[in-house]
Amino acid sequence: MAGKDMKSNRVYAKRVNISKSWYKFSRNPLSVLGLTVLIIIVLAAILAPYITPYPEHAGPYTNFPESGQPPNLRHFFGTDTVGRDVFSRVIFGYRFSLLLAVVVISLSVPLGIILGLIAGYTKRKWLEIGIMRITDIFLAVPPLVLALAITAMLSPKLLNQMMAISLMWWPWYCRLVYSVTSSLRNEYFVHDAELTGARKGFIMIRSILPNCVGPILTKITLDMGFVIILGASLSFIGLGVQPPKPGLGTMVADGAKRLPAEWWMTVFPALAIVLVILSFNLIGDGLRDMFAVEEI
Amino acid sequence: MTEEIMRVEGLIKHFFTKQGTVRAVDKVSFSIFKGETLGLVGESGSGKTTVAHTLIGIYEPTGGKAYFKDQSLEKDYSGRSKNLKKEIRIVFQDPGSSLNPRWSIKQILELPLKVHGTPVNRDQMKRITELLNMVELPPEEYLYKYPTTIGGGEKQMVAIARALATDPSFIALDEPTSALDVSIQAKIINLLIRLQKKFDLTYLFITHDLSLMRNMANRVAIMYLGKISEVAPTVDFFQKPLHPYTKMLLSSIPVISDDEEDLKPKKVISRGEIPSPVNIPPGCSFHLRCPEKMAVCSKIDPEMVEIEEGHTVRCHLYADG
Amino acid sequence: MHTKSPLLEIKDLSVSFKVFEGDLKVLNGVNLTINEGEKVGLVGETGCGKTTTIKSVLRVLPSPPARITGGEIFYRGRDILKLKKREIPSIRRGEISAIFQDPLTSLNPVFTIGYQLQEIIKHSLRQQGIEEVSKKELKSRAASLLKETGMPDPERILKSYPIQLSGGMRQRVCISEALRVTVKLLLADEPTTNLDVTIQDQILRRLDELVEKRGTSILFITHSLGVVRHLTHRVYIMYAGNIVETAHTKELFSNPLHPYTRGLLKTVPKLTGEGVSEGIQGRIPNYLNPPEGCRFHPRCGDKMEICINKKPPLFNQGENQMVACFLYGR
Repeated sequence: MAGKDMKSNRVYAKRVNISKSWYKFSRNPLSVLGLTVLIIIVLAAILAPYITPYPEHAGPYTNFPESGQPPNLRHFFGTDTVGRDVFSRVIFGYRFSLLLAVVVISLSVPLGIILGLIAGYTKRKWLEIGIMRITDIFLAVPPLVLALAITAMLSPKLLNQMMAISLMWWPWYCRLVYSVTSSLRNEYFVHDAELTGARKGFIMIRSILPNCVGPILTKITLDMGFVIILGASLSFIGLGVQPPKPGLGTMVADGAKRLPAEWWMTVFPALAIVLVILSFNLIGDGLRDMFAVEEI
Repeated sequence: MTEEIMRVEGLIKHFFTKQGTVRAVDKVSFSIFKGETLGLVGESGSGKTTVAHTLIGIYEPTGGKAYFKDQSLEKDYSGRSKNLKKEIRIVFQDPGSSLNPRWSIKQILELPLKVHGTPVNRDQMKRITELLNMVELPPEEYLYKYPTTIGGGEKQMVAIARALATDPSFIALDEPTSALDVSIQAKIINLLIRLQKKFDLTYLFITHDLSLMRNMANRVAIMYLGKISEVAPTVDFFQKPLHPYTKMLLSSIPVISDDEEDLKPKKVISRGEIPSPVNIPPGCSFHLRCPEKMAVCSKIDPEMVEIEEGHTVRCHLYADG
Repeated sequence: MHTKSPLLEIKDLSVSFKVFEGDLKVLNGVNLTINEGEKVGLVGETGCGKTTTIKSVLRVLPSPPARITGGEIFYRGRDILKLKKREIPSIRRGEISAIFQDPLTSLNPVFTIGYQLQEIIKHSLRQQGIEEVSKKELKSRAASLLKETGMPDPERILKSYPIQLSGGMRQRVCISEALRVTVKLLLADEPTTNLDVTIQDQILRRLDELVEKRGTSILFITHSLGVVRHLTHRVYIMYAGNIVETAHTKELFSNPLHPYTRGLLKTVPKLTGEGVSEGIQGRIPNYLNPPEGCRFHPRCGDKMEICINKKPPLFNQGENQMVACFLYGR
């Protein structure tokens, strides 16, 4: 009897938590807007082969008679120099951008978290200093320059671009988690877990990490945008997605030669980049509000 | 009294900072007997919390000795046996920071059981329910709540349940009610007293509130700048305070009845503030504020002397016994 | 002792806060009067609305979420709640001033104590129509203000930054700031709660002397009954957004009437050591759905039929005591 009551109680508590989180997030209509736009973009990118008018234009396709058309009803965003539909290519371009962002974040965040937790929690001064100095070295080099060097050293393709960006992205998370951890390690609840006899790994992962989730998630959403723009920048100078694949940065670069007359080849892919970054940023603001502690 | 459960001999804890050495605890000695409540009083910065934190193992002592039933306490938690961790527990001062805000109350109570108790799931649940009942929180209502959604008094009840979870024999209570209202304080104090009787617990009770101490402790030790200046059975302590600092503290208490007013030592006007433990005055560290200062006080630090049985004081006024 | 003309009058003040779950109806018709030169205590537990009350007087309630849903606050006959936005600062920097629990938040960390004190003195003098003051004059006035609060070595303190002082010294600085020349009413919100008893004792004695000397009225908010007994002429007891009892301090302690007051007095640990009694069952109500009628009735040992439905007004009991309880009138 009691067991069942408790269970429903737990479910209820969860439901209240979720709706309260949503209330805090949605108090700012802009974050809801950002979320909506992002969902549309993600769905469009996933379903690209089915919803774009000319899916075959995303590859090595040419149709010179139709090249250089301004936006019209058949081609919403016009066509490029070899007659491909810019709209279709932008949607497919999102696929590479989002893939890049997801891969980079999922490679760099866990590494950053683990190192940050260790550096922040350990009592061995040399370990803490060691990890944080290496982090500082990475942070001291401008990200674009480092990625440029690495991608150029290897061959310019998307996979290498991902590796390069991941390599320079983890230090940010390391530093973030380190700062939260080193302040939490003196909280009484951490002391209590230690005194009780919990293992170090348990304290780091189960006790401290959940308290870092808010700042990490907020940073991730903001960083998705930054990674996308960095990827686009690398593509712009030819170190990312290789033609004929439709990278957003590559498209901007290609179209830039035709400015200002055939503006649509540049402007639409560029706007697409802006739109996705903006929506990530708006969501980030909403998440920050959501994780903020309410004071009455 | 009965069996000595904890013995502290010349305990020292210094912190080495850029500003200098903080002598938080400086050669403190006392004993705690089974089943009693030893009260440790002092102003902020007196080192009373550091004593507790060193004994339970947050810090490693800089020097001196401490024993719990013949087991040495000279290491911090990482060097202590599982049994010692089970026997010695603490309830922290700030209920806000002592419970993990991302854990439900069930998860909070699970940890000590996982480490020390039975790993079987159903028994664990039974024990958690039992613990919550012990601290008078209805389990069906509180199990899945998070600390951020309950009041300070309830948080402190959960912290007490967590301390009890390992079935300890000694609990350090570090100002457990200083952040709470009097009506909630009354509940927690009475709960603690009931639990003490029921489980034969020994308490080290730390507070700055002497009126509360009067109603909670069997014996009282008073600390000033890292040193103990007077130890006495509670009744003696309040009726025959000896040390000038004790008198000053007692006369500063805002009381609510004339009966209490009569108990306060007269004509001791409090003055000055506790100096920084980085620059401890030479001689008796209290001489700067002492209304009965003598020439010797600024030169020589007095020794602890026993005036009556169980009533010791560290002051030149009583140096001849 | 003091004249009987009211300086501050709070009439039926109601305040609510809008949150995710709904409206928190915190203040539920608060009535409070402070006469000129009077020292008044306002006692209640955490969350009973003490701070909300003085924030309303100072007009610093964050709105939203706070909303004043009814009532009036008269200061010398002028309704503070009807003042325009730009008139508010003149009240706060003029005749009413406040000190708070955490002095560090009321001091600016990047200026020296001396600078901050002198700015306040300058402003205060300007309100009296004095524009030109020499630097030396300002400095000596600041030093003498500090000296009045019993601060040792004021010259050194004037050159220090807030962070370099101890909690007690910071509070002394705040008191000297608050007690500048023009102040008629001092609102003190738990100013000594974070301090040690010996320091509290020193500061309260000094504050008392200063207030007496200048004839300043004071509203002293605290949860400590002991402090109130030492310091005030008259006490208001607050429970869940209501004033439940008011009386001359002596009478309140010798003859408490309201069941809440009686319970509260019992729960205070005493030096005589007869144990700590659990005076009041249950806990403070949830402001989302506060109990109808008397807000104390779910915890009251003397509950009657009428308490459940009807909110008790303040009944006169003798000359100086009023109590909001149906045990004492209908």
